[in-house]
Amino acid sequence: MRSSEVIKTVDGYYDWREPSFAWPVTTEVGRGLIGVIASTTKVAWLDPASGTLAYRGVPVEQLAGRVGFEQVAHLLITGDPPEKDPAGMESFRSNLRSSRQLPSEVLDLLRDMDPVHTHPTRLLRAGVSALGCHELSASDDIAGERHWREMRIVGQVAALVAHIARLRAGRKPVAFDPDKSLAESTIAALADREPDPADAATLDLLWVLYADHGLDAPTFTSLIVASCLADPYYNVVAGLSALRGPRLGGAVEGVLQQLLVLRGPEDGRDWVGSTIERGGRIAGFGHRVYRMADPRVTLLRRELASVAKRKGQESLFITARTVEEEATRRLAPKGIHVNINFYAALLFHLLGADAPLVPCLYAVGRMAGLVARVREQIDQGRLFRPLSHYTGHGKRPLPEGEDA
Amino acid sequence: MIGRSDPPRLQSYGSGLDGLVVGSTDISRVEGREGRLYYRGYDVADLAAHASFEEVSFLVLHGNLPSPRELRKWNDELVQWRQPPEEAFAALQRIPNNAHPLAQYRTMLTVAACHIPEAENTQLDAQWRRPARLMSWAASLAAAAIRHLNGQSPVQLKENLSFAHQFLWQALGRNPTPEEAKAFEASLIVQAEHGLHAAAFAALVVISTGADLGSAVLAGMGALSGVRHGGANQLAFQMLQQLEGPNHARQWAKEKLNEGFRFPGFGHRVYKSPDPRVRVLEPHARALLQSKGLGRLWETYLALRETIEAGLGSRGIYANVDGITGLVYHPLGFPASAFPIPFCLAIQTGWMAHCLEYLPAGAMIEPGSVFLDK
Repeated sequence: MRSSEVIKTVDGYYDWREPSFAWPVTTEVGRGLIGVIASTTKVAWLDPASGTLAYRGVPVEQLAGRVGFEQVAHLLITGDPPEKDPAGMESFRSNLRSSRQLPSEVLDLLRDMDPVHTHPTRLLRAGVSALGCHELSASDDIAGERHWREMRIVGQVAALVAHIARLRAGRKPVAFDPDKSLAESTIAALADREPDPADAATLDLLWVLYADHGLDAPTFTSLIVASCLADPYYNVVAGLSALRGPRLGGAVEGVLQQLLVLRGPEDGRDWVGSTIERGGRIAGFGHRVYRMADPRVTLLRRELASVAKRKGQESLFITARTVEEEATRRLAPKGIHVNINFYAALLFHLLGADAPLVPCLYAVGRMAGLVARVREQIDQGRLFRPLSHYTGHGKRPLPEGEDA
Repeated sequence: MIGRSDPPRLQSYGSGLDGLVVGSTDISRVEGREGRLYYRGYDVADLAAHASFEEVSFLVLHGNLPSPRELRKWNDELVQWRQPPEEAFAALQRIPNNAHPLAQYRTMLTVAACHIPEAENTQLDAQWRRPARLMSWAASLAAAAIRHLNGQSPVQLKENLSFAHQFLWQALGRNPTPEEAKAFEASLIVQAEHGLHAAAFAALVVISTGADLGSAVLAGMGALSGVRHGGANQLAFQMLQQLEGPNHARQWAKEKLNEGFRFPGFGHRVYKSPDPRVRVLEPHARALLQSKGLGRLWETYLALRETIEAGLGSRGIYANVDGITGLVYHPLGFPASAFPIPFCLAIQTGWMAHCLEYLPAGAMIEPGSVFLDK
């Protein structure tokens, strides 16, 4: 590709794959940097026009429900499908699981933070930060060990979230069984009993679907930080700082707060109508990228139907479905469609999470893609430093008598 | 475009968004060719000579130097928030002494963030109430993190001290001399803002998600910690320390110049002439080093700088701010691993100003990436 050609983008994403891509590029630059190409990646491909999401070339529909989160994390981070390298997968899995043993001081720190009343995303961020202090000392040369540590973070974040869920419920901490997957242990922590394999499979599905979604704000933040060659704990603290924002993690949380108070389908339909008429927003609707239904929604809707049935909560599914249909009828003509958070939040709820915990659970899944992209950035990237135009005051002398 | 006005619609740029104009700003202007830096139109050299850090932080945030009444109010606000929540100090007891002080400070800040009033309110007026809290809490927490390196406990606040003086008192546990306080304050002033560098950009992406200002500062701190950014002042000083004197510095630099070595603390993406911040800080560093009997370290630095600049100055490579700050912080008694902390305390002013400037228009910042099939 010659740099003089203007690259046509759909909101910054591409409806083709480009093997001969080269910098510099020429693109349109929109608000919020829509249309800008900030990096090249081999991790995932997102095509909003056809509704395709593929991890390392494998469409997500082929992974969801068939392969667990640990395998998908391996695929995203190393680039290899698990069947290609069984020994590598085995050592990846055992690293991931053993990294869940956290220093007791980190749990003490969380306990000191009034975990019942403090927002779980704040606890998670502090926990990751404290873990970084335990993992790396001031004299460490982090460069050599970088990749190993980044992979540990995926397991550590999962462990922190499980601990936070238990602390919130006033339960004692548990040790993680190395024979149990990340999803099984998290379900066990949420339910406080032997995990139901069906619930663990649902959590795996959710994490797989949340594992990567292009350069969303948390991932992009982490890339900028990684481009300065910061240690991986800084990358994740920065990513979590973006993820907990009201437009992201807060929006996932908002879905539950909104749906759980509805008394049934009729109430749901009325509520959608009155909310839209007074110009309010329906959480779980609208997406920056997709101008069509989010491809992940179909999978999650089906999953919610079956989980709700299993748990005798069919009415919750019927209400949700009614809200989706009514909101779609009213909003689709404006290009606003249901997004992944709508059904995912309800699924997290049925697995035992309360609303504030939901963004933390979603973060566990996202760690896989984030770490994969951070690794790419460190291997090939250069410092992010765009320019800005100065439009401020011209040169001026200090006022008379200015001397402190 | 992420700022307030519309960008050129079509742009060409390279990897790392090199050359991409992402927005406009009224906060600072960097003149790379002349080696000048202006905050809101004022030359930093003038500000460092005549203004206090309190005045400069007000200027960077609000756009004008404060009137006497505004300055009193800003001062009161800063003083009011000097005592961080106890929980943040308790967190320090849960992390090892030998962790990097910036990581310790980061952890304290993540805990303190849970106790900021109206923590989840991200309306614009609530965001404007945060800079004073963040600045004052940060100074006290950072001082405690530095002391924790040596297992020392935090130092209680003292009344009627300026921002810079208070930080030195709490970090060093002693009263700085007027020269020390002045030198340190100058280092805060010249590092208070520097355009949309990577850390400011990271902060901006976070604020664009609707997050609170403290979250944006944490992201900026992450970028700053990297060795390509704030960590460079530590590396530059360590390079200097292993040199035995001016002659060794000259000889070593000449050898390394022939190898094409990239010297930490030298060269800048924007400045192609002497860095204005270096010119402000050098006289302070020399005076401090000489007063502590460290004149030889100064001579070594000077020999190193002159040799490298003689070799590379024609290519626009001069000493940058990372090379000189250590020569202010070392004679004050800070360990090298703590050098990024004062930088962080200063530059977060600029990050917050960029966030607050961005917020009224703010779209979420989410660029794309190209999937490479091969």
